[in-house]
Amino acid sequence: MSSEPGTTDPAAHRGIDPAGSILARARRVDPRTYVVYVAFLLILAFFAITLRDDGFLTSDNLLNIARQTAPITVMAVGIVFVLSAGEIDLSIGSIVALAALVAAIVLRDVGLVAGVAAGLAVGAGVGLVNGLFVTLLRLPSFLVTLATMGLVAGLARWSTDLKAVAVVDQTFTDVFGSGDVGPIPGLVIWTLAVVALGHLVYRHRRFGAHVLAIGDNPGAARVTGIRVDRVRLAVLVISGTAAGLAGLLYAGRIQGASYTLGESDLLIVIAAVVIGGTRLFGGAGSVVGALVGSLIMGMLTNGLILMGLDSNQQMVAQGLLLLIAISLTLREPKGA
Amino acid sequence: MKAHRATAMVAAVVLAVVLAACGSDDDAGSSDDAGGSGAPATAASTPSPAVGETTGPAGEQATPTDELKLSADEIAEVKSGKPTAALVWHQSSDFVNAVSRGAKDQFAELGIDVVAETQANFDAAKQKSDIETVMAKRPDALLSLPVDPTATASAYRGAVDAGAKLVLLSNVPAGFKPGKDYVTVVTDDLFEMGHHAADALAAAIGGKGEIAYFFHDAEYYVTNQRDEAFKTTIEQNYPDIEIVAEQGIADPAKAEEQANGILVKNPSLDGIYVTFSQPPAEGVLSALRSNGNTDAKLVSLDLDEPLAIDMARGGNTAALIADRAYELGQSMAKAAAYGILGKEAPEFLVAPVVTVTKDNLDAGYQESLNEGPPQAVLDAAE
Repeated sequence: MSSEPGTTDPAAHRGIDPAGSILARARRVDPRTYVVYVAFLLILAFFAITLRDDGFLTSDNLLNIARQTAPITVMAVGIVFVLSAGEIDLSIGSIVALAALVAAIVLRDVGLVAGVAAGLAVGAGVGLVNGLFVTLLRLPSFLVTLATMGLVAGLARWSTDLKAVAVVDQTFTDVFGSGDVGPIPGLVIWTLAVVALGHLVYRHRRFGAHVLAIGDNPGAARVTGIRVDRVRLAVLVISGTAAGLAGLLYAGRIQGASYTLGESDLLIVIAAVVIGGTRLFGGAGSVVGALVGSLIMGMLTNGLILMGLDSNQQMVAQGLLLLIAISLTLREPKGA
Repeated sequence: MKAHRATAMVAAVVLAVVLAACGSDDDAGSSDDAGGSGAPATAASTPSPAVGETTGPAGEQATPTDELKLSADEIAEVKSGKPTAALVWHQSSDFVNAVSRGAKDQFAELGIDVVAETQANFDAAKQKSDIETVMAKRPDALLSLPVDPTATASAYRGAVDAGAKLVLLSNVPAGFKPGKDYVTVVTDDLFEMGHHAADALAAAIGGKGEIAYFFHDAEYYVTNQRDEAFKTTIEQNYPDIEIVAEQGIADPAKAEEQANGILVKNPSLDGIYVTFSQPPAEGVLSALRSNGNTDAKLVSLDLDEPLAIDMARGGNTAALIADRAYELGQSMAKAAAYGILGKEAPEFLVAPVVTVTKDNLDAGYQESLNEGPPQAVLDAAE
């Protein structure tokens, strides 16, 4: 049985017969998941020392990092479910843009509640379409979401002819992205809420166990009575909805929506999730790890800017640090 | 799903840049002299009358960048405060590099320390994050090109509220007022870019013939204004030149396919204008090559290595029109000093334009980027 923080062993849940998956279990028992927390602390310490005079450790800057990574973390929680089930969702970046634009337009033309609902519905709807193609037509999610990624990005561009839409509704911007609750930015509260909910479902509900079981061995999962297709459909709807929420958070944060939102987020989200200890090919993962992975990505961007590197040097340094981080967290043990 | 308000905002920016179609002949001499000075005689050494002018985002009159002047006392005053600046760009490119270099060199002369530099990959959310991050270093000045006027306004508001003096390149955040929210906005002389292109193409084809016009089919006031200026200049100043084909380029990466169609339909074209060089003009050039067309003359905007090599070898490319990117950066840095001093700057500044042909490759590159052409271009010229 797994006892490390951050990893969830599907065999630890009721209803799954661990027999016959000894090899798989050996793969899952994985002390490397600790390393993400160590990597986080090391990077934090590194920047805290090298940038001690450059405002890195100020509460404003640390809150900046938390705010800036909020949409990434929200998407990362969705992707933890998707990857854990052995699927992938490439369409999340495009969903962000379309959800933000649709929300902004409906918000302006109809109203607050309708705008929020429309944004989330876009996310859930695209996720549902992805899920239906994957389950009904037995297509790989990689190809389905590759197609919808382009399709949704095209719709986002088409919807406003590439124009940005301003969001002026004060309530919306206060709730999504721009407001604070006391000293705590609203985005931090969203992050914590989504991570807490994701963690609860992933670790402490049967659904999470089913997701992991399917990612580990779909055939075995089916034999044990898990409705594999329903779970697959559900994880894609979850990730689509999470991306829709991320779109709302972006729209509230920049007080506007544009087709470029989320365009470069997909790889950052996947990097955050995988650094956080989720297996790229299913069967193991961690929601809290994804949060830490997302903070690592945000901290790298932030710290390298504050170091005064020019943007080309930042890209190089970010790549190098990322290589180190994944070497620490993801190195396969010998003989695995 | 029509975004009326967004449309209105973008339209406001675009419409604000009204082409004064008449009565501006007097201006022609001055603005053209600025563009041609310093360069050896080029194909466009006798400019045609300017039939329009570049105006600012809110219709401001353009002021040449060389009117920014700082006295020795003012420079000493700036230096004494040990100010800092951050550069928040929209993307990374040759152009941005040259602007950055110009700004940093000028900042060094002014004793202003550049503490951070970012680029946003055209992502408004990333640009907002970049601004928040660099503000942790409390820079006195922020030099930036906003990715999008609407979607980045809130990001700049925070920086301005924190006391940073904002100097803008090309784009202005929605609702921002010069002198109050930002020091000034600097851009290339958009009308003159198109005007120079028209003169250069006319010179290359002997003032008469049939040409194709490839324009940028997107609402971006920079390219829209440059393309319009080209077309207007040809139509009004060159009655013997006929635009026989017009093609909008919505996806710059697919220009080659569209050019193929035009070349097949119009095999006897004398000249071609392409909205900007990389990638659409490169695509048009490769279409010309695959059609075996060595006669049609190509003119495009912005310096670009493959096109410059073709030009140096005496290929289809006749001229590339460039802005003085390095000078744009220098001017932004000077304007930042204006902001720090509390000195009022002109609201809208334009940097002059240079026509680069085979005859002035070296001088043209120097004038635009403050460095010579790439070695491959020099090799091709020999």
